[in-house]
Amino acid sequence: MKNLMRKELLLAMHPASMLFLLLSAMLLIPNYPYYVICFYTCLGTFFICLTGRENRDIEFTALLPVRKTDLVRARVFTVMLMQLAQLVIAVPFAVFSSRVSAENLVGMDANTAFFGFALVLYGVFNLVFFRNYYRAPGKVGKAFGWGCGALTLCMVVFEACAHTVPFVRDRLDTPDPAFLGEKLTLLAAGAALYVLLSALALRRAMHSFAALDL
Amino acid sequence: MNVLSVRGLCKRYGSFALRDVSFDVAPGSITGFIGRNGAGKTTTLKSLLDFVHPDAGEALFFGRPLSADEFGVKQAVGFASGGFGFYPLKRLRTVTDVTRRFYPSWNETAYRRYLALFALDENKRVKELSEGMKVKYALALALSHRARLLVLDEPTSGLDPVSRDELLEIFLQLAQDEGISILFSTHITSDLEKCADHIVYLRQGEVAADADADALRARYRTAALTAAQRDAAPEGLLLGCKREREGFSALLRAEDAPRLGADTAPASLEDIMVHLEKEDGGL
Repeated sequence: MKNLMRKELLLAMHPASMLFLLLSAMLLIPNYPYYVICFYTCLGTFFICLTGRENRDIEFTALLPVRKTDLVRARVFTVMLMQLAQLVIAVPFAVFSSRVSAENLVGMDANTAFFGFALVLYGVFNLVFFRNYYRAPGKVGKAFGWGCGALTLCMVVFEACAHTVPFVRDRLDTPDPAFLGEKLTLLAAGAALYVLLSALALRRAMHSFAALDL
Repeated sequence: MNVLSVRGLCKRYGSFALRDVSFDVAPGSITGFIGRNGAGKTTTLKSLLDFVHPDAGEALFFGRPLSADEFGVKQAVGFASGGFGFYPLKRLRTVTDVTRRFYPSWNETAYRRYLALFALDENKRVKELSEGMKVKYALALALSHRARLLVLDEPTSGLDPVSRDELLEIFLQLAQDEGISILFSTHITSDLEKCADHIVYLRQGEVAADADADALRARYRTAALTAAQRDAAPEGLLLGCKREREGFSALLRAEDAPRLGADTAPASLEDIMVHLEKEDGGL
C-alpha cells in the first residue's frame, strides 16, 4: 500500500488538487458559505480521476504486482488524505477568523461544529462519487456530477439548518468556545459518520471495480 | 513446463464472442498471435491478466493461475499494450522510480544496461519518445524486473520498417540468448516471418491455427492464376481467391497443389491470413 500511495502522489496527483488545499484560507473571508472549501477538495478529486483517465492510470496500476482492489483502496485513501489535509490546514484560519471577525451572517461559523459537518459532507461525496466512478471509470464527469449534486444538497441543508433549526442556530452556529461540549459531540459524530460512509464507499467501489472489464 | 497455457477461454461481448481459445507458449520461444483487427487478440491478452473477466476457461502462468499468485505471476510477466502509453507528461526517471519499488527482484544494473542499449534518456518525458522508443522503454521496465514472459499487444504497430526490424532483432536476442518467452500479437504478419517460432492464428474469436510457423506455412501454397485457370480449377480447391492487378491469386492446401495444373509458390503468413479471411467472406 505504501508503494501505491507513493504512486498516487508522484504520478496520479494533479497539481491543482494540491493548490486547492490552500483554499482553506477562504475561512478568512467574512460572511461566506465556508462549506465551499469542501467543494474544492472534491473538485481536486475530479481532476485526479480525469487526468488519470487521460494518463491511463488504472491500466498502468493494474499491470503492477498488486491486487486489483488495492488500486481502489489507494485512491480512496489518497482522497481521504486530501480531505483531512484540507481541514487540518483550515484549523488555524478558523481560529484566526473567529478572533478577528464577528459572526458569519451568511452561514455556519468556522467553529468546531463546522468541521464535524464538513466531515459528513466529505463522507457523502465519497460514497456517491466512488460508487459511481468505479462502476465506469471512463465516465468521470457523470460520477462527479452525482457526487457534486449530493454534496451541494447537503451543503444547502446544513446552511439552511444554521438559519432555521433552533439547536443548530443557537448552539452550534456560535463562536467558539461557547457550547463547546455540543460542538465536540457533533465533531465526533461527524468523524464517525465520515469513517463509516468512506468505508462503505470503499467496499462498494472495490466490489464494482473487481467485476469491471478494463 | 509451458510458461503459458491458455485453456478454453470464452468471452461474449454483444455480437462478438471469443470461443474456446486454447494455446501454449513454450519456454524461450516467440509465439506470434495473429488475426485481423477485431479477431479478439486484445480481448484474449487482456483476459490473461484478468483485465477482462472470461466467461469460461483459464490461463496458467508457469503452471499456476493468476488468481493463485497474482503477485508472483505479475513479477514474472511483462505486459505491454503498444508502447508505453502512460503518463505522457512525466519523466521516465519518475515513472521508473515509482515502478521499481513494486518489484523486489528489480535489477538496477540491468535497467541501466537496457537504457544504454536502447539509447533511452531518463530525463525525457514519455510524450517526447517516438513510438519505437516507447516500446523499448516498456521492454526495459519489463526486463529489469526479470520478466520471464513478455506479453506484447501490437508492439510493432505504427513503427517504421527500420524500427520494426530493430525491435524484432531485440526479440530474437531476448529469446535466443536470455531464454525469455514472448507472446506477441500483431496483424503485421511479415514481422513474424522474421522471428516467430510458433503461430496462433485467431479468426472471428476462434483459434483457426495453432502450429509451428514453418509447419503452418508448409500446409499451404499460393497460385497466381488467369481467369481461365481460375474457372477451370476444381470446386473447393481454391481458398479465398482474389483479384490482383494482373489476374487472380488464391491459396490452396499443399496436398491439393498437384491437382491445380498451374504453378504454385510457398505461402507466407500474410498470404495465409489474407486468403483465409477472404474465404470467410470477410473482405
